Order: sequence, then structure tokens, then C-alpha cells
Amino acid sequence: MAESQVAAGTRTGLMGRLGERHERVHLEQYSYDDDIVRKFLTVTVVWGLVAFLVGLIIALQLVVPSVINYTTASGSQPFAFLTFLTNVPFLTFGRLRPLHTNAAIFAFAGNAIFAAIYYSTQRLCKTRMWSDRLSRLHFWGWQLIIILAALTLPLGITQGKEYAELEWPIDILIAAVWLGFFGTNFFMTLKVRRERHMYVALWFYIATIVTVTMLHVVNSLVIPAGLFKSYSVYAGVQDAMIQWWYGHNAVAFFLTTPFLGMMYYFMPKAAERPVYSYRLSIVHFWSLVFIYIWAGPHHLHYTALPTWASTLGMLFSVMLWMPSWGGGINGLLTLRGAWYKLTDDPVLKFFVVGITFYMMSTFEGPMLSVKTVNMLSHYTDWTIAHVHGGTLGWNGFMTFGMIYWLAPRIFQTNLYSKKMAEWHFWIGTLGILLYVIPIYVAGITQGLMWRAFDQSGALAFPDFVETVAKLMPFYWIRVIGGTLYFAGAVMMGYNVLRTWMARPAVYEVPVLSTPALRPERIVRPTFRSRLGGNTELGHKGDVFIQNLQSAWWHRVLEGVPSKFIFWTIAAVAVASVLEIIPMFAIRSNVPSIASVQPYTPLELAGRDIYVGEGCYNCHSQMIRPLWAETKRYGEYSKPGEFVYDHPFQWGSRRIGPDLAREGGMRSSLWHVLHLQDPRQSSPQSIMPAYPHLLDDPLDFAQIQTRVRVNAMLGVPYGEAVREGKAAEMARTQALKLADEIVQADGPKGLENKQIIALVAYLQRLGTDISKPAPSETGTDPAAAASAKKAEASRTADR
Amino acid sequence: MSESMTPNESLPADPLTDHEYDGIREFDNPTPGWWYWLFGASVAFSVFYLAFWHFSVAGWTIEEAWSDDQRAEFVRVFGSVGQLKTDDQSILQQIDNPQFMTIAKAAFVGNCSACHAKDGGGLVGVNLCDENYKNIKNPSDIFRVITDGANAGAMPSWKRTFSDNERVILAAYVASLRGTTPANPKAAEGQPIAPWKKTEK
Repeated sequence: MAESQVAAGTRTGLMGRLGERHERVHLEQYSYDDDIVRKFLTVTVVWGLVAFLVGLIIALQLVVPSVINYTTASGSQPFAFLTFLTNVPFLTFGRLRPLHTNAAIFAFAGNAIFAAIYYSTQRLCKTRMWSDRLSRLHFWGWQLIIILAALTLPLGITQGKEYAELEWPIDILIAAVWLGFFGTNFFMTLKVRRERHMYVALWFYIATIVTVTMLHVVNSLVIPAGLFKSYSVYAGVQDAMIQWWYGHNAVAFFLTTPFLGMMYYFMPKAAERPVYSYRLSIVHFWSLVFIYIWAGPHHLHYTALPTWASTLGMLFSVMLWMPSWGGGINGLLTLRGAWYKLTDDPVLKFFVVGITFYMMSTFEGPMLSVKTVNMLSHYTDWTIAHVHGGTLGWNGFMTFGMIYWLAPRIFQTNLYSKKMAEWHFWIGTLGILLYVIPIYVAGITQGLMWRAFDQSGALAFPDFVETVAKLMPFYWIRVIGGTLYFAGAVMMGYNVLRTWMARPAVYEVPVLSTPALRPERIVRPTFRSRLGGNTELGHKGDVFIQNLQSAWWHRVLEGVPSKFIFWTIAAVAVASVLEIIPMFAIRSNVPSIASVQPYTPLELAGRDIYVGEGCYNCHSQMIRPLWAETKRYGEYSKPGEFVYDHPFQWGSRRIGPDLAREGGMRSSLWHVLHLQDPRQSSPQSIMPAYPHLLDDPLDFAQIQTRVRVNAMLGVPYGEAVREGKAAEMARTQALKLADEIVQADGPKGLENKQIIALVAYLQRLGTDISKPAPSETGTDPAAAASAKKAEASRTADR
Repeated sequence: MSESMTPNESLPADPLTDHEYDGIREFDNPTPGWWYWLFGASVAFSVFYLAFWHFSVAGWTIEEAWSDDQRAEFVRVFGSVGQLKTDDQSILQQIDNPQFMTIAKAAFVGNCSACHAKDGGGLVGVNLCDENYKNIKNPSDIFRVITDGANAGAMPSWKRTFSDNERVILAAYVASLRGTTPANPKAAEGQPIAPWKKTEK
């Protein structure tokens, strides 16, 4: 049997033979593996609850600091017990926020799409998954990854790039599980299918699998410095470009394409209506896949990224509006004539609101990517509101709808309570609104406050913390909204649990029979020109258009997965190459600055702490060339300042102020006291406290390895530093700095504590640009000379 | 199966394709015209945008716009006075210019208040409101300390953050804080010095 399938598969591409008749009909018997769907669905519910709960905790962390010091008239501090949310190292915002985003994206949404794919692919291909063993390896491997993430992120083990924080051993595991287990199993299932043509849901699954593999591998390239630490092979501008090419397309190919596939299967199933338009599916699939991949640089408008890349990011985002909406209208119009079904079906309610949020987000996205709009929205909560409209509304509600539709079918019983599902819908919708509306207001408020001037031409709100304190009421409403959303998910968990408890003792496994895949019989339609008197070329053109519109050629493509996969890879890879290669190849993208020198060994160790604590979650290091911004933070950032930054730390949200020019702005003692308890120096601050940095010893021994890895990546450290002097140099610098702090009446004995490295790093930030260009401590004079030479030849190039 | 797709009276009368997958059917509707028009419009906008900003002489860069802002700001604030002098009397005179004092106050709150408190009462940094000073005898010393820093970097240099004129009016603002009453004054440090002597013109 298998042999005949393969033979049939190889013949399909040959149009000439398609007319053959096959008289005998072999019926093949098979059953679906629904056990794997039950597994993925269960963990979707569990990890969803975890992701939402961590989100709720970090939302609380942004408001708790504003009340912990509240003292009543009688002198008691009723909220003091919440202090642990602001100063326990593994619970700090900087470590938990990556846990929240990773859990929501990869654990909740990830398992949801696996449940959808395993259920629908088998049915759309009329076959069992190719390998039950690979299905299980995929399931358990993915759960292992999630658990490793939940352990390492709170410990501060991170690569410091958003949504790609997991360290290199876990990254390797992800690649193995995703492509080795999941991808292989999926593609082999397509190969052994019994349905000739692939339905549109499968196209989106294909795009998901190939593109996520590409993004993950390229963005995760690092050189390890031990099991728990690595440095990105890219630096500064290029690292930022690669990261947001990844970051934006994680949204595209992890949170959009698989969910569109999910929609294309479960929406018509739940509505019991045909999909609105097959031809629209084709147009919006290919335009979406081709255009999405370019849009990443819109996360970096007005940064040190070259303007041409920024413009490409914006324009492709604008052009992405209609391709995105194509999916939305195809989903919503499927309900034509069936809208009445919404009144008593919670599944359709979730789907309709989910698709509506998708369409709102995919209109808002292009709008936010327009540079002038982004000028206001960037670094503010506007982005946070935008993201949560998409995730809570689109990903969350599509998943909930799917779960309520699937649970009775895979547990082979009735849903425990439809009424509870209805309540979940309403409470969840209210939760989303109470989340996003105040956060939109917060984002626009803060954005306007940052750029406001008074009549004298001075900043109207020069003290950054003023613009934070203003947001507290909105942050409180968000906590309420998040609580409602979480409560809805708890109700769903209970509902699914009770449904599962009512399952039959033994699941029924229907045995189905279908003929084996047979060669395709597509007769190429012949078109005649509809034009009257015209040139030969005109007639040919009209025939071509008719061919294009009739989509028969796409029908052929749908029958040959290998070709379909090839064209999908081409669509995403060509676009990526066209954007990324010039960024690395054209030197004028990052004009070098002679005075910018590598970090000293101590500063590098401090930078590792900065990355590990997740400071980038709240502090940007990128001053845009905007008057209000340079007025507040100093000279705008130049591309050449970041050439030794592995990874870049530009950040995406300013919950705290920008730190690009922090060096030398305040005394080192101020930094020590501020890190120990930010509310000592700035009572309205909502930053976590880091008292442990004053106690925890700095590991001087590992500094040597880390310097060496950076040297391997091309950071011009001198020979003395490379060959064993790094720790010694770090100790010398630490002693000097600690002494300075003592001279200023600060705490004693900090010379071997972590804080000294962090303060050394902070005092270095953004200072090189205003220095002359001498060779500094630890820099190889020969390397510096050759760099100068290279710079001279570069200048000559231009 | 309950989810089979039997067309009923409320099903639109559009033509169906002959596709069927696990009971899912597809209509053969064309892509809506407005979809093509809006997609075309977004492409046309992109071509125009690219041509204007990257391939014509009419566009300008954000850095150029920033430089224009900087020039305009200097002309607006300091245009009438030109380069300010840094001697004691010139600094003290600026206290009488309310526009300069508003600007200097914002700069003080944004950059100095972390260590000296918003009202100058002192935190990690010294109290600027009392009669005692560490490195200062005259107003021009304030300008010097702001420019070069003091106490081995505990007071940083602000040379690269503020222009000369900005440091003059900042020094004037700090001088004006003397004798005011802060909310939480830090204990006096350094030596008491003679009052500022302003010579009337």
C-alpha cells in the first residue's frame, strides 16, 4: 500500500499522465490519534493558567511599590507585607516578565496550536499522524522545554533578547523538538495523506513550521561561555535587526499563521457553513507570507538602525494591512446567514470576538508602524495595549473557542456546563476591555508627557518618575481586567476538568476507511480571449489573467506538498535575505567611532548582571534624534556606539528612563543606594529593589572566559586581557571604584560584590562618544591601529 | 457526524467549489473588489513614500530635523543675549530673567534632583539651600563645579550634557536656591561662606 502511495505521489507533478483511469479502488483502514490531542489540550489549559497568573503578578508588581510605604494615621503600614514582590531576586519584574511572555507565547499558544494541528491535520489528510512515537516525543520534549524555561528565567539565566531569552542548551532542544519531532512528523503525515489536495489550514501550518525554524535558528546563534551563559554572534545594530526580524515574525508565524490555520478549520466546523472564499484564501495566504517577513524593522524606528531598513519595515507593514484582513473577512463572512447561531453558541462567540480583535490589531499594527505615529507610541504602554489586544483577544479567544468545541468531542461526552462557558466569554471580554483601554490611555498619556514643553521651552515633566506616577490609576484598572480574564480561564479549567471526569471508561476509536491517494485528474482549462479587436499580446494577456483568476494552477500546487513547501520557503527566505544581507554587507550602515572602546572586564561582568536581571525589560538604551528626547537624556545614540554590544540592549519599553547616557550622570554612591532601594532616592519609583547585589559575591573567576568569548566574536581585547589578566584587571578597577564609594561616605567592602560590576557598567554607558580616541585599558594597540586603518579605508570607500 | 455541512435555507446562494475536506466546503466567491483597491492603494502609497523620502531632494532626515530644532531653540532662548559670560556678576544677573529660571529649574529637576532633591535640600548630594558650601566661594565656582565636577566624580561633570549658556543659567538657579527652605534639609556640609554680592548697575 505504502508503495503505491509513493508511486502515486511522484506522478502527480506530471500533467500529461493525469488522465489515467484507475479501476480498482483499494479501501485503506485507519484511525485517528486523539490521545495526543487530549494531551496537548490539557496542557494548554494548565500553562494558560500559569501564563495569565504570572502576568497578573507582574501587573501587580508595577503598582505595589506605590503603596507599600503607605502609612495610616495610626502609623501602621497595611501593604508592607507585599514588599516581597519588589525585592525577592527571583520574583523581580525583570526576571518574571520574560517568564510571562515565554509562557503565554510558547506554552499557552504553542500547545494550543499543537492541539489544533494534531486534531485537524489527521482529519484533513484522512490519515493518522505518521508516527505516534514522534507525536509523543514532541509532546514531552515541548513540556520539558517549558519546565526548563520556568526554572532558568527566574534564576536570571537569559540571552537578553525579547521572546528569545532561553539559553543555548534549551535553544538546541527547541530546534530538535520543533523540526526533528514535530516538523518531521507533520511533513511525513502530508506525504502519507489520503486526501489529494491540502486545505488552506495546512498551508498555514506549513508556513508556521518552516518559518519558525528559520527564525529560531538564525536569531539564536551564540557562542557559549559555559552552560548557562552565551553571547550573541551579532552585535549592536545588526543584532537589533536580527532580533526584531525574529521578534516580529514570532508574532507573525507563531501567533498569526497557525491561528489562521486553526480558524480555517474550526470556524467552518463550528458554524457548519462553507468558508466564504477559496480564492481569497490563496491571495491573502501568499501576500501575508511574503510581506510579513519584511516588517520587523518597524520596531526600531528612529533608532540607530539605518533609515532605509526602517522605511522598508514601515512600508511592508502598511502593505500588510489587507493581507491580514483577508483572513479576518474570510473568517467572519463564513458566518453569513448563520449569525443567529451566535446567540446560543459560546464557541462562535469566542471566534467572532477573537477575529474582531485580530482585525483591530492588524489595522493598528500598520498604523503604529507609520514612523510619525511610532514617534509617540514607541517605548510607551501603547505597544503593550496593542500586543494584549492581539494575544488576549485573538490568540486567547480563538484558543478558548477551540477548547470548548474540542473538549466534548475528544473526551467523548457533553461539555460540563455551557452556561459556564458563556460566563467565561463575557467575563473574559470585559477583562480584555478593562486591560487594553486604560493601557491605551496610559501609553498615550506618558508619550505626550515625555514630549511636552512648557512656554519657556523647557520640558514640562523633566522628572521621569512624574510620568510614571501618573499611570498608577490605569495600572490598577489593568490589575482588575487581568483578574477577570484569569477568573474566566479558571472557569474554563474547571469546566474542562469536569468534562474530562465525565469521559467514558474506554474511548471509542472509530475505524475509518478511505481509498489510497490516487493520481490527480486535473484537466487544464482552456480560455479564449474575451477581448474584441486587439493585438496578439492583448489576447494573450487576457488569457493569462483568466488563468490566474481561475486558480487551477494553485489547485495543482495544493496537491504537491513538496512544491508548496518549496515556494513557502522561497517567499520567506528571499525577503529575509534581501533585508538582512545588506545590513551586514554595507559598511556605511554602521559608521565606526574611533573613541568607542570595548568594555573593561569588570564592566563586561556588570553588563552580564544587567542582562541577567532583565533590566532591558524596563530601560531602553537608545536615544532617538527627537528634540524632547535629547533634551531629557542627552546626545542621541549613534550606530557606532554599539559595536561591542553582544547582545544589544536597546529595549522596547521605558517603564523606567533611558540609560544610554547614564554613565557619569550620577555619583557611584547614588547608584549603590538607588539599587539597594530605589524609593530611598526617588519615593515614587516603581523599580524593584536589589539589596542582594550588595551582598552577593562577584564571580571574578569566570570573567576570563567571558572576555575570551567576546574576543572570539571580534571584540578587540588586548593580549594581556585575553591571556589571563582579565580577573586581575577587574579586581583593580573594583577596588578603585569601591574606594570612591567609601570616600563619599558610602558602604564599605563592596569591592568583591556584584554591585560594583553593575555600577562600573552603568558609569560607562554612553560615555565613549565624548572621549578622545586613545587606546584604553586592555585594548591591544595593534588591534586599535588596524581598526583605524580599516576605518580609513572605509571612509575612502564612501 | 453532527458537523456535516448540509446546505439549508439560510445558506447564501453563491457558487460552491467542488472541494470538501472533512466536511468543510468552500465558496467560489471572488476576492472582494475593495480588498484589491485598498491593497493597491497601500502599494501605491509605499512607492510614493519611498520616492519622496529616499530618492528625491525634497525629503529630509530625522537628524536634519533635529539639528533645525536645536538651532531654533538656541535662537529662541539665547538669541537676544548671545554667549553669556561666566563671571560672578553675569551669573547673578540671570536670576532676574524668569524665562531662564524656568528653563534652569526644569534642567535641575531632570538632572540634579536625583542627588540634590527637587527643592535642592540634598540627598546623596549636598544641601544647596543652606549657607555652607564645600567647593564654592563665589557664583562662578558653581559654574566651574557644574562644568568640571568635584569630589573625585561624586559630583559629575555636566559639560557634555549642557551648553555653556545652559550651565550659566543653571549656576544662577543653584545660586538662587541659597536661603530657600527645603522640605527635608540635609545637614550642613563644608564651610559657611559670605553672601553673594550683587553689584547694581
